[in-house]
Amino acid sequence: MHTPLPGDIPGLTVERRDGRDPRILFFYFIIVVMLLLLAGGLAHQQLRRTGEHANAERVQTQRRIVHPGPRGNILDRHQRVLVDNRPRFSVRLLLDAIRPEIRAEELIIKRRFRAQDDADKPDLPTAPEIRRLARMSVVQRYLDQVNRILGRDERVDARELDRHFTRELLLPYTLLDDLAPADYARLLERLPVNSPAQVYTSSARHYPNGSAASHVLGYVGSTEDVGIEDFPGEDLRTFKMRGSVGRDGVEKRHDDVLQGEAGGAIFRVDPSGNRINPPLAQVNPRQGGNLTLSIDLDLQLAAEKRLAETEMAGAAVALDVHTGEVLVLASKPDYDLNAFSPKLGANAAADITARGAWFKRAVQGAYKPGSSFKVLTTIAGFRAGVLKPDSTVPCPGFFRVGNRSFACHDGHAHGEIDLVMAITKSCNVFFYQQGITIGIDALAREARRFHLDRPTGIDLPDETRRMIIPDPEWKRRVTGEAWQGGDTAQFAIGQGFVDVTPLQMACFAASVARDEVWTQPFILHDPARPRQRTEPIGLTPEQRAALLTGMEQVTRRPFGTARILDDPQLLAPLPGLRIAAKTGTAQKQTERGMINFAWLIAFAPIEDPRIAIAIAIEGDTPGEETGGGRYASPVAHAIFQAWLESRLPGARKIKIPFKPSE
Amino acid sequence: MPSRRFDQARPFLTLGILVAGWLIMPGAVKSFLRASFFELTAPVTLAASKVRDLQDFWALRSHSKTELIEAGRDQARINASYEVAVQQTTELKAEIARLETLLRLPSRDQYRLEHARVARRDFSAWWQRIVIRKGRDHGIPVGAPAVFSGGVVGRVAEVHAMTAVVELITSPGVRLAGVVEGDSRPISFQGGSNPAFAPPTGIVELMPLDIIASPTSPKRLVTSGYGGVFPPGLTLGTIVRAELGSDGLHKSGEVRLDERLGSLTEITVLVPLEVDAAAPVRSSP
Repeated sequence: MHTPLPGDIPGLTVERRDGRDPRILFFYFIIVVMLLLLAGGLAHQQLRRTGEHANAERVQTQRRIVHPGPRGNILDRHQRVLVDNRPRFSVRLLLDAIRPEIRAEELIIKRRFRAQDDADKPDLPTAPEIRRLARMSVVQRYLDQVNRILGRDERVDARELDRHFTRELLLPYTLLDDLAPADYARLLERLPVNSPAQVYTSSARHYPNGSAASHVLGYVGSTEDVGIEDFPGEDLRTFKMRGSVGRDGVEKRHDDVLQGEAGGAIFRVDPSGNRINPPLAQVNPRQGGNLTLSIDLDLQLAAEKRLAETEMAGAAVALDVHTGEVLVLASKPDYDLNAFSPKLGANAAADITARGAWFKRAVQGAYKPGSSFKVLTTIAGFRAGVLKPDSTVPCPGFFRVGNRSFACHDGHAHGEIDLVMAITKSCNVFFYQQGITIGIDALAREARRFHLDRPTGIDLPDETRRMIIPDPEWKRRVTGEAWQGGDTAQFAIGQGFVDVTPLQMACFAASVARDEVWTQPFILHDPARPRQRTEPIGLTPEQRAALLTGMEQVTRRPFGTARILDDPQLLAPLPGLRIAAKTGTAQKQTERGMINFAWLIAFAPIEDPRIAIAIAIEGDTPGEETGGGRYASPVAHAIFQAWLESRLPGARKIKIPFKPSE
Repeated sequence: MPSRRFDQARPFLTLGILVAGWLIMPGAVKSFLRASFFELTAPVTLAASKVRDLQDFWALRSHSKTELIEAGRDQARINASYEVAVQQTTELKAEIARLETLLRLPSRDQYRLEHARVARRDFSAWWQRIVIRKGRDHGIPVGAPAVFSGGVVGRVAEVHAMTAVVELITSPGVRLAGVVEGDSRPISFQGGSNPAFAPPTGIVELMPLDIIASPTSPKRLVTSGYGGVFPPGLTLGTIVRAELGSDGLHKSGEVRLDERLGSLTEITVLVPLEVDAAAPVRSSP
């Protein structure tokens, strides 16, 4: 029975409990446990997993933008620029700055669609379509502003714009690229300072000498794989500006040296992924290391100019006899490297393909060396003991081996001819006879001793491995036929199956000049590079004197096959320079008919050889006599002349580049 | 009690309503109101400027006759040298005109000169903007270059009926393409952040690496003429510092500007002739 208490409102019944109810204590317990669980969970999340959450928040709200560093320069041996970087100007649109405009444009587009008459009203586009239309409209508006300043009529590429918004929202959108200096100057002055459209600079490769040494220098291609080692935020979502990577030549082989160090910045982004300035961290990109090549620009330009004047495909190589450093490595046809910067167009690529200009004849062209190989036959004869400095052979104008008859050089009968005159006049019969006497095994062994059976290992990519020093075993393996005496005779004069590259023959000439058997070519310049020393050839002084006398007479009138070098009416004199040379004219049966290859190997000065040269020129007309003396000698002359000039006091002037490809 | 509280808050409420009204007002109305305000206050600015001129006049009257005679002599010498320069310029112009006729080249005269006195400097950032006593009525267009004896002053940013606002090259909002004297490669010039009472400076970017400049061997920076706004060869300042930029391809540096930019009294606006031909122009005093 409830007893009313003082102050109770009459008629209202209130249940009161005095004392502690054990059932409530149970609920207290449950609540305390739950609170403890909550507190524990909170502590776990806040204390133990705080780093994890902070990192997740950081990854979600921060973005990293990476800019590639400019590549290093490539210089010639006298520190003249062969490749450097040119600024590449573009006008780009900062997307985060045009966000409000895009939103406003979306509303306008929606309003326009709704305002159309019901009869004409198309279906209202979806939200993504409206967004796309708005972006296009706003970006085109800025492009029109640029068009007005530059007097152009450029249009926005819708697909590219969509791709950019989807994949590279943080990066500015490029409205126009590769602007001329006058254009960017005009934009600098006329675009408002605070406009979202701004002039940007990046770097592109620049080749001040056009096509010079293009096959050596190589070119670069675009890549997204920009190296960003030592740059913080590797776990962040990263946007990379496109960098460049060497695709050929020195650019490819020494990409690790030339490649610049990437820089970049870490930005906070809003929930839409747009950048919030200023950056949280920033690292400036750094230029890659410079590379000094052994190429001598004066000599290279002289060789390329004269090669181009022949209007035939060919190659020229010159080496420093002592060190093996490459002074000239030219190949024609070639291409203007500026066509690759910033990007090779389809038409330019098709033109290079049509002209066969991708082929690096100096290191990839495997040719029959023709009579220039007679130097090796002479050395093999001396070493085999079957040839004496005063040996003579009767030359009736042909040589018969079994049933086959081989004609002498020019089909002339030289009569009784000695070694010096055989080299001077390039008498085939003399060397057919010597070759047969020496034997194929000794000849092939001697060629291998000079490393003519393998790549030189020059530090350039794509050197061919197709050189051939044949022997009976090789012929049996490749053709399934037995070796014939005629094969040996052909081999002795650099015909038949033998194939070598111009670079190999330049190494051979340098080796003969040093009286050693091997010259390792280098394309990088090292001022402290020591003189190369390899196995001596092993000729007696008399034998070497006879060989050099014959080679010097090659360059002298009236009999030398390269006597053009001694004719002041045809080529400028090379005062005081005694040259040892050997010409060659090899034949090759092609689909179009018999093609000649003009060769010349040489070194100078005879008394202290410093430069060795090999020239190879492909004849372009079947049946036409493309002789080494007539076609290859002028190229060698140009190199020797430039070499002599470079040694004069006060030489090494910067010359106006020769750009045949332009 | 509540009504008393409302009374106390009424000024804030009014202010809030006004601010809200301004915020939601259409842009065209805002622009009209701004322009109207400027046009209404322009006579005050002009009057104040002319009063200042009058004050200067009477200040000059207070100089002694000896001082005035000396100043007159100095002025005569300067006038004589200018007279020679004017004669040489006239001869050169005649020669250019003869060659243009001979070679059938279009005339190189692209600007009409409009001299104007400075009425006011923008006190909020007085290195950056000046108001001149000529405007639309004198054919001055927006964007026209302004020069003085020391080189470039800036660019016309706003034009009103009787006045115009010129943004000085000391302002970070002005950017143009310059060249180092004797060179032809364009360089980006932009006004720097210029604190009061410090020598005015600007910054250069995209400078070729082979250009070397230092306080002991400064390089003169002139307009390039590439942008089509400023004629070539006008002095911008001297580059006193050049350092390798972050891209490794260019240099960035500092340009020392003419200190007289802070005390200009008279400038010349170069009015492009094609604009001039299209607009009615009141004759210049």
